[in-house]
Amino acid sequence: MSFLRINNIGKTFLGERKEEVIALSDLSFDCQDGEFLCIVGPTGCGKTTLLRLIAGLEQPSEGDIILADTVIQGLNREATLVFQQYSLFPWCNVIDNVCFSLEMKKIPKKTRYLEARKFINLVGLTGFEKALPYELSGGMQQRVAIARALAHNPKLLLLDEPFGALDERTRHRLQAKLLAVWQKERKTVVFVTHNIDEAIFLASRILIMRDRPGCINDEIKVDLARPRDRRSQGFLKLHIKIREVLEKILITNTNNQRGAL
Amino acid sequence: MIPIIIIAVWEFFAIQANNPALLPRVGDVISRLVHPFTDLLNTGSFVRHIIVSASRVVLGFILAAVIGIPLGLLVGRYLLFHRLFSPIIELLRPLCPIAWIPFAMAIFKTYTIADMFGAHYTTSIFGQIQLGMLYVIFYGGFFPIFLNTVHGVKSVKHLYIESALLLGADQKKLFKKVIFPSSLPSILTGLRVGLGISWMVIIAAEMLPGSDAGIGYLIIFSYELAEMDILIASMILIGAVGALLSYGVKVLADRTSIWQAKER
Ligand SMILES: Nc1ncnc2c1ncn2[C@@H]1O[C@H](COP(=O)(O)OP(=O)(O)O)[C@@H](O)[C@H]1O
Ligand SMILES: [Mg+2]
Repeated sequence: MSFLRINNIGKTFLGERKEEVIALSDLSFDCQDGEFLCIVGPTGCGKTTLLRLIAGLEQPSEGDIILADTVIQGLNREATLVFQQYSLFPWCNVIDNVCFSLEMKKIPKKTRYLEARKFINLVGLTGFEKALPYELSGGMQQRVAIARALAHNPKLLLLDEPFGALDERTRHRLQAKLLAVWQKERKTVVFVTHNIDEAIFLASRILIMRDRPGCINDEIKVDLARPRDRRSQGFLKLHIKIREVLEKILITNTNNQRGAL
Repeated sequence: MIPIIIIAVWEFFAIQANNPALLPRVGDVISRLVHPFTDLLNTGSFVRHIIVSASRVVLGFILAAVIGIPLGLLVGRYLLFHRLFSPIIELLRPLCPIAWIPFAMAIFKTYTIADMFGAHYTTSIFGQIQLGMLYVIFYGGFFPIFLNTVHGVKSVKHLYIESALLLGADQKKLFKKVIFPSSLPSILTGLRVGLGISWMVIIAAEMLPGSDAGIGYLIIFSYELAEMDILIASMILIGAVGALLSYGVKVLADRTSIWQAKER
């Protein structure tokens, strides 16, 4: 039995004019304990919706999600989600944001701060402990959000395009750091990105989603040795392969739209 | 610039009228203001009247905050409390606090806090705090505090609530660590507005018969005796104290909600 199992889930929203919006339909996949799963797909294909369902912030309209042999009902306490939007508490400084989950666990302040400093250092923000979120750039805020999620130490870490706002250099550095944490702590990670390069660098396995309605289109196992060389033959081959799949999805979409017109 | 013009016009008409019972000279009013501890018309000094009024306001206002904030947090967050309290609050809200004054006087008479504790002949400040006055101040302060708190809770970003829950917060912690701090700027706005209204209401309440101290009482008493210099000096003091109170809350508010002003 796998650690996380998504069983034929569907999610339908009611739109503004009460029309049904099918965000996800008949979507299934498994995720092993300790796996680093990346999900790529066109904008609006339902990646965020999928993560929200796994986090238990939203309930599936059909199917179910099973984590460690229990069906998720209501909030998933084993998972934490790093949102695509900036989600730091604006009234807390950096260290209190990172500490938040430790405070919830009633860990004394001294221990808490010691622990939080490790994660602040990990995301390269030592010296910014007392800064308020508005004083940080978007990329820095996102790094604090990652530190906050890591400090919580959940079994399942869900990340929604967390490095989207970062420049390439910082992105590469944080990818390496995230991998180090993942390898050290043996966490299960589900990582959403629209960056193919990022997916290949990080993932044990890549799921490619298509849209209208959102479902898994392809699955690609990444068997390259770590640390991965972005210029290696294997890396580049995978890159081209994924790009082709995504292009095909886009083309069928445009054709469908033409057909509809 | 404008204050200078006002004072000049005032002085011009005062000299023209040449009747201190109608419009006193600027200098007369100032000489009253620079002697705040001097007894006036056998009722006590400016300082004493202001202390009496301010004590009434502070007590009634604290009462309004202590009830208005928690109730606002609950009504803003829980549908049950919303259903329970909103109809009655919507009904009472348009009723101006000043309209309550005669009713409160009739019900509570001149009963004071000191009376409540059985000290009928005390000279302490509590002998000057009538329950009827407390009631109208409470009423005047309550609505802005309550409504702004509700508004604050309702505008807490859903993203913050979801983040906190996913980081292990329970309902109690959620209130303390997310909903309250996030609504704090709005709550402080409510406190500032509420304090302003309380200060207006008390002046009105003190002008009614049955009162024998407070800056509002001093105004009406000096009016009856045609002591216009005391009357105008009292008005200036009311404005000054009101501005001071408002400024105090604003300083407090600015310090606790820098994040909100700077949030993008
Ligand atoms: N709360 C919602 N109400 C209505 N429609 C929604 C809601 N959330 C998402 N959707 C729709 O579901 C689809 C998938 O959205 P989303 O999961 O955000 O995609 P992605 O993250 O892949 O860009 C979109 O068409 C979006 O409009
Ligand atoms: Mg998204």
